Amino acid sequence: MKRLYTSFLGFVFIISMILAGCSNSSGTETTSSDSGADSNSEDVITLSFMGWEASPLETESVKKGLEQFMAENPGIKVKYTPVPGEQYSSKLLTMMAGNSAPDVFFVYADQYRDLVNREALLELTPKLDEEVALEDFIPSSQSIMDVDGKVYGISSTTVSPVLFYNKKIFDEAGIEYPSSNPAESWTWEEFVDVAEKLTIKEGKDIKQYGAYGLEILGSTTAFLRNNGADFFNEDGSIALNNSEAKESLEAIRKLREDGITPAAQTLENSGMSAPQMLQTGKIGMMIEGSWALQQLATMGFPVGVAPLPKFGSEPSTHGSAHLHSASANTKHPEEAWKLIKFLSSRDYQNQLIKEGLWMPNRVDMYSEEGVKAWHDPKVHPEGFLELNSFFKDAEAYPFVTIQKYVVQDIVSEEFEKYYNGDQNVDDTLSNIDTRVAEELARK
Amino acid sequence: MQKSLKVRALSHILLSLGAITMIFPFIWMLSTSLKDISEVFTFPPTLFGETLKFDNYAAISDRFPFGQFFLNSTKVTTIVVIAQLITGSMAGYAFARLKFRGRDVLFVVYLATLMVPAQVTMIPNFITMSHYGLVDTHASLYLPQMANAFSTFLLRQFFLTIPNSLVDAAKIDGCTPFGIYWRIFLPLCKPALATLSVFVFMGAWNDFMGPLVFINSIEQMTLPLGLASLQGMYGTDWPVLMAGTVVSILPVIVLFLLAQDLFIKGVTLSGLKE
Amino acid sequence: MMLPEKKGTTNKSVVAEPSIIRGKQEIKKGKLTSLFYKDGTWAVIFLLPHLILFLAFMLIPVIASFILSFTSWDMISQIEWVGFGNYVELFNDEIFIEVFWNTIYFTAVSVPVGIFISLILAVALNQKIRGIKFYRVAYFLPVISSMVAVAIIWQWIYNPEYGFLNFMLGIVGIDGPNWLSSQSWSMPAVIVTSIWKGLGFNMLIFLAGLQGIPDSYYEAAELDGASTWAKFRFITVPLLSPTTFFITIMAVINSFQVFDTVYLMTGGGPGRSTSVLVHYLYQNGFEYFRMGYASAMAYVLFFLVFIITLIQFWRQKKNSLY
Repeated sequence: MKRLYTSFLGFVFIISMILAGCSNSSGTETTSSDSGADSNSEDVITLSFMGWEASPLETESVKKGLEQFMAENPGIKVKYTPVPGEQYSSKLLTMMAGNSAPDVFFVYADQYRDLVNREALLELTPKLDEEVALEDFIPSSQSIMDVDGKVYGISSTTVSPVLFYNKKIFDEAGIEYPSSNPAESWTWEEFVDVAEKLTIKEGKDIKQYGAYGLEILGSTTAFLRNNGADFFNEDGSIALNNSEAKESLEAIRKLREDGITPAAQTLENSGMSAPQMLQTGKIGMMIEGSWALQQLATMGFPVGVAPLPKFGSEPSTHGSAHLHSASANTKHPEEAWKLIKFLSSRDYQNQLIKEGLWMPNRVDMYSEEGVKAWHDPKVHPEGFLELNSFFKDAEAYPFVTIQKYVVQDIVSEEFEKYYNGDQNVDDTLSNIDTRVAEELARK
Repeated sequence: MQKSLKVRALSHILLSLGAITMIFPFIWMLSTSLKDISEVFTFPPTLFGETLKFDNYAAISDRFPFGQFFLNSTKVTTIVVIAQLITGSMAGYAFARLKFRGRDVLFVVYLATLMVPAQVTMIPNFITMSHYGLVDTHASLYLPQMANAFSTFLLRQFFLTIPNSLVDAAKIDGCTPFGIYWRIFLPLCKPALATLSVFVFMGAWNDFMGPLVFINSIEQMTLPLGLASLQGMYGTDWPVLMAGTVVSILPVIVLFLLAQDLFIKGVTLSGLKE
Repeated sequence: MMLPEKKGTTNKSVVAEPSIIRGKQEIKKGKLTSLFYKDGTWAVIFLLPHLILFLAFMLIPVIASFILSFTSWDMISQIEWVGFGNYVELFNDEIFIEVFWNTIYFTAVSVPVGIFISLILAVALNQKIRGIKFYRVAYFLPVISSMVAVAIIWQWIYNPEYGFLNFMLGIVGIDGPNWLSSQSWSMPAVIVTSIWKGLGFNMLIFLAGLQGIPDSYYEAAELDGASTWAKFRFITVPLLSPTTFFITIMAVINSFQVFDTVYLMTGGGPGRSTSVLVHYLYQNGFEYFRMGYASAMAYVLFFLVFIITLIQFWRQKKNSLY
């Protein structure tokens, strides 16, 4: 048997070498990953471009977009490296540590300032022109991009938490849909009322939850802000320990205590994603980022979108998205900028906005003319356009404007402890105060 | 040894019960790979959806260049397995049977390298590999894996179980240390070598960190990266992911079964020819 | 008959020698050939390929990361030397201490229990009954199944509302807790899953080890009237000791570095109850830009594992048959 075994291995080895040799015609055995290694002629520049794969759709769009870019720019070749989302940070930082950062790459909004402060990104301010002008962007994108008057990355899009709901479940319960018009959005009390009505209990079992998703950091943040709670002061120090924050937190936790929303883990641990829970009727309403629309639109059930219920007098949400940046050490700053410009072009964005994954981050794309380029009734539910101002006027996600990523983890952890009932709200907020102050004070 | 019918029946029953729990995730993987995504998380869980969606398997190639990645993985893994068997057995033999100065110290140093988590050696590894000019090549994947303390350690332990008497007899007959290695130790450790091949294969086949850090070109990527790309940040295409995973596991199962053939119980140690 | 030069080995078991030895002629040895037989020379030859690869690819990064542990480095700016600063900070870092103990908890339970069960399994699967190959594959499947799939299955099992575990407990009248969402039960739950997933791995190694124990020993024992337990205790266990040693050391090393298994089940929560060291290390390195600090963490871990290994080595040398 050993002979069979060894010959099997040998056979596989030989075949694979042959096949691999044949198919690997690009013969990149000796290519290094140094940015901008020149290929054949002296006129062709190769840019290395790296991004994460948020969804197969996004990867497809990137690839198609790159083909188009290369067709329009014959002197530039783009080598794209897709990286699994979870490990993106480690790969990017490893490459930077080894002095081989890609020429152009995605940057997480909440890591942007960390990178800017360490001079890892190419400054783009002098390159901005009429095609890419800071003033054209919606306020939230502007405040993300702008670091003390300078720009080091161009915002790719914007996404915001919104309220999704399953129309069928509403119909069955005889409840009116929430309005898509922010001026007519539900108050918090109205929201809780509906959620209660949608919660169906059978003995100890809860067959259907009214709502889900409020305990995710992004959602909680939106509700706190809407109630007027401050997160950070002008100088970047934490300011969360206030009564508005307390009020919102308690309101959200009450939902769980009343059995209207499940613990985040209970449903997560069933392996279903939130959209799947909405589709299968495990939940009636869901607070989730607007990107979920892309998936929801393909799931074959009538989904509706509405602004977040308001705590205060005005509905609001926050916006954020990744940026496209260039490495400070790139050997081809001009070409890199061309690529970034392309990626920020309205045409490129429209592809993804059409599918529901992205939302426009240029003010003019919300105009009557502008929306025609991306609005698709098959994807965007009825009345979706009424939400335009909701997205346009959103504020930047607070955690992207601070200098240290760790703060987000601290807040998230403390909130989780509070929601799980392990800690009361006053302790939670004061813990956050102390721990964040400590972190920000360090170096 | 003939076992009574009762004992055999009892063995079968107990083993089967255990086995059912063990194969459960695999069954789930198979069943999911044939469903439509809306059927994956229904409650109560079903074994099959409405139809058997075999095109989930075809869809894998739509998401990433499955064939190319599979070949790349095969190439790297084969090299690593063969190399580790050779270097591991030679080094294991040296540590088990040859006496030389600093042997134990060196062995402990080898072992020590296993104790450092990959997350901190990732960057120095990358910088080293950059200096060698090997980034984005398959060499960056197989070279670091061609010698490994795990294999050395495993084979050393197995070599230790071979009785001194055999070694002495061989030496009396004028056998060189190499001869002893080649004609006595290797043949006697077939089960260990078979087991090791399975593990080395698994390790190299499923290696994710290596390709993640060292490979940038899509054409050079290996299967684990492809599978990871099926897990989006905004939602995973479970059926296709499971289809890809099932295909990825098959070679390991095949190898495992082949290895079992080398598990011949009760190899007698007397009457061995040299 | 002239015996070749040996270092201290005496003829312990001439009785069992094959008859080839008797009547062997003298072996002439010149100086060159004596070098040919010397262990040291061969050691170099045998170790060379391994050593070269090892030095080139493994030792350098390990030493580099050790040096890094004495620095502060955000991977982009200059490296700054901080001496023992990181280590001092670690011992005052509440989170580090918590994850450190979590990891020790995890290892202390999963290693012994896992090894014990895999040994029993290996003995059970060493029988010559029909279909044993199929059973072995079945018990090995969790090892090769995707961790994602395993996590999903076990999350279902642990689900407080409709999970299998609480269902079974309910039959006996116990109201099962919300396993993965409970601060006290989450770690045990994860440990069980981890043990379950790793059984096949150690079982396979034990199997290989069991194959090396000749039947004749068992037969002789049976003739002497030994019970199954006695056979196990006095033949199997001692003769397996090199294998057991290997498995123990590797299990300890791997347990301390656990990450995926836990993270996919609970994400480290609830709170920090299942956060393990490698995860915190990763966060510090790649999310908080503190590579030096992360390296220091790795080396605290390293020293602990190293010491445990040394202790095991020393005990092995003292007690072993080998």
